Amino acid sequence: MSYSRRTFLSLSCGSGAALLVGNSRSVAASAGPIVVGTWGGDYGQLLGDLVDKPLATAKGIEVVQDVANVDPRKTKLLAERGSRRGSMDVACLSDTDAYLLSQSDVLEQVGADQVSRLGSVFRQLRKKCSIPHIYSAQVILYNPTKIPVPPRSYADLWDARWRGRIGLSDILYGANTLAAALAGGGSVSNFDPAEKKLLELRSLDVKIYPSNEALAAALKSEEVWITVMWLARGFMWKKAGIPLAHVVPEEGTPTVVFEAGVPRNAKNKVEAFAYLDAMLDPRAQTGFAEKMGYAPTVRDATLPEELAREVLLNEEERTRLLLLDYAYSTGRSQRTLDFWNKQFKA
Amino acid sequence: MAILLVPACILILGLLVGPLCLMFRISLNELGPTQLMVEALSADNYVRAATDPYYQQIVLTTLGVALLCTAITLVIAFPAAYWLGRVENRWKSVVLIATLFPLLVGNVVRSAGWMALLDRDGLINWGLARLGLIAHPLQLMYTPKAVVFGIIAVVLPYMIITVSSVIESIPLQLEEAAANLGASPIVVFRRVVLPLALPGVAAGCTLVFVLCMNTYATAVLLGGPRFKMMAPAVYDQFIRSNNWPMGAALAFILLLFTMAFTVLGSLGFARRYGKVPRGPSERLAPA
Repeated sequence: MSYSRRTFLSLSCGSGAALLVGNSRSVAASAGPIVVGTWGGDYGQLLGDLVDKPLATAKGIEVVQDVANVDPRKTKLLAERGSRRGSMDVACLSDTDAYLLSQSDVLEQVGADQVSRLGSVFRQLRKKCSIPHIYSAQVILYNPTKIPVPPRSYADLWDARWRGRIGLSDILYGANTLAAALAGGGSVSNFDPAEKKLLELRSLDVKIYPSNEALAAALKSEEVWITVMWLARGFMWKKAGIPLAHVVPEEGTPTVVFEAGVPRNAKNKVEAFAYLDAMLDPRAQTGFAEKMGYAPTVRDATLPEELAREVLLNEEERTRLLLLDYAYSTGRSQRTLDFWNKQFKA
Repeated sequence: MAILLVPACILILGLLVGPLCLMFRISLNELGPTQLMVEALSADNYVRAATDPYYQQIVLTTLGVALLCTAITLVIAFPAAYWLGRVENRWKSVVLIATLFPLLVGNVVRSAGWMALLDRDGLINWGLARLGLIAHPLQLMYTPKAVVFGIIAVVLPYMIITVSSVIESIPLQLEEAAANLGASPIVVFRRVVLPLALPGVAAGCTLVFVLCMNTYATAVLLGGPRFKMMAPAVYDQFIRSNNWPMGAALAFILLLFTMAFTVLGSLGFARRYGKVPRGPSERLAPA
C-alpha cells in the first residue's frame, strides 16, 4: 500500500487532531480541583478556612479559588455561556447577580438531591438556581459622637444638618437607589421616587466613595458621619475601631443575600454541589457570622447570644425586612445605573 | 527579506485586527438585559454616544486631560532629556536607570503610592498639618489635578527616553557652530536643537498622548467615582452594565479619536516645521 505525500500529510494531521481531541476529552472528564469564583479578602480567606479545608479533609475535594470582584465574574460567566466547558465550578454571587444569571440560563438548578443541607435553609431565602450562603440587612450607620440623636428612617438622611457629612459607596448604587426610593415613598417594586430624592441628596453635598473600603476610611477619619450600608459591614467596621452605631430604618430594611451557584457548563458538578453543601454547614455559617457579621441562612446554626444581638435583627426589626423584587430591579438596572452616573454623580 | 515580517503580521492579524473586527460587529448589536446582546445591525450605540451629553463630556474630558498631560510632560521632560542626551559622565547611567525605574512598577502599584501620598490622612496632608500650614486636611484625592499629576508621573519616562535618544544623535558641533556665529542660547535651541529634535518630540508626544488617552488605573484610583475618562467608561459598560454593544462602540470611538488626533498632530508638526527630518544625518548630508 502506497501513500502519496498529500494523503500521508492529511492522515498525519487527522490522527494528530484525533489524539488531541481524545486527550482533551479525557482531561475534561477527569475530576481535578474544583474552581470556585469568589471575592478575595476576608470572604475568600474564610471560605478557605471554613469550607475548602474541611471539604478537602472530609471528601478529598481540592479547591482552587479564582479571586475577583463580582462584576468581572458575572461577565465571565455570561461570556462563557455558550462554551461547552466553563472555567468555574462554583460561582459566588450577590443575590441580584444570581437572579440575572439564573434568568440567563447560566446556572444549574439546585435541588435537595444535590445539596442535602438545602432542607435547613430558611424558606424565604431559597432560590431555584443558587444557595443563599450568608445574608444581612441594609441599615443606616452613623457616628454617635457626631450625631447624638439617632436617625429613625432613611428620610432622616435628607437633613441640612448633615450637609457634606453623608457618604455613599459608588459600587452600591443599586442599594443606595433603593434607600432613596424608600425615603421618597417608593418600594422594592417602585424606584421612581428615588430620582428626585437622589438629586436632593446631591444638593446636600453627598460624598461618593469608589469602594466600601474608601467609605470606611472616610467614616474612620470622620470626614463623613452617616451612610447606608449592610449591618454586617457595620459589625466589621465597629470591630476595626470605627465609631459607629446602626439603625434599622422605619421604611423597611432590604435584605442582601450572598449566594453561590453551579454554572451549567461546570466541569466538576458533583464536587461543586458538595461544595455548596459544605457552605451551608452550621460551623461554616457560624464562622462567617463571627468574623464578618453576616447572618446564617440555615436554621441549625446557633450564634452566641452576644454575637446574635449584633448581627441579627430582633423580632420587631425582622418585621421590617424587605425581600427584593429581583425582576423589577433587573429590568430597571440600566436606567438605575444611567441615572446614578449621568444625573446624580454629574 | 519580506518573509521576516510574517510572524509579526500573523500575530497582529490574529491578536489585534481579528478582535477589532469582532468588536466592531458587537458594537452594532443591541442590548439584551438577560441575553448579553441581541444580534442586530444598528448604529444606535454610536448615535447614542455622539448625542448623549454624558458621553460627549467624557470624550472632552479624556481629550483635555490627554492633551494637557502631553504638553506638561513635554515641558518637564525636554530639559531632562537634553541633559541625558548631552552628558558624558558616570552619572548618566545612574540617572538613566532612575528614569526607567518607575516603568518597572505597575500602574496600579504606582497609583496606590499616590493614594498614600494624597489621601486625607496621607503624607502631604500630614506634613502640611505638622508644619501648621493647614487646619483641616486638603481634598487632594478624587480630583482632576490628582489624575493629571498621576498620569504625568506614569508617562514622563517614555517622553524623556524618546527625546533624549534623538538629542544624543544631534552633533554638539552644530550648537557650537551656531554659537560661534553669534546665536544666543535661545536662538540655538529654537533654530538648531528643536528642529533637529522634532522626530523625537513628535514620537514622544504621540506615544504619551496615546498612553494618556487610554489611561485606566490612574483615572479610577485617583479620579474617584465622579471623574470619568473613556477607558473606565468602556470598562463600566462591559463589566458593570453588561452592555457589550455600547462598550464596544465606546472603545471604537476612543480608538478613532486617538488615531485622528495622532494623525492630525503629525500633520500639524509637518506643516509647522516643514518636512520632519528623519535624523541629523539627513540634515548634514552633502547637497
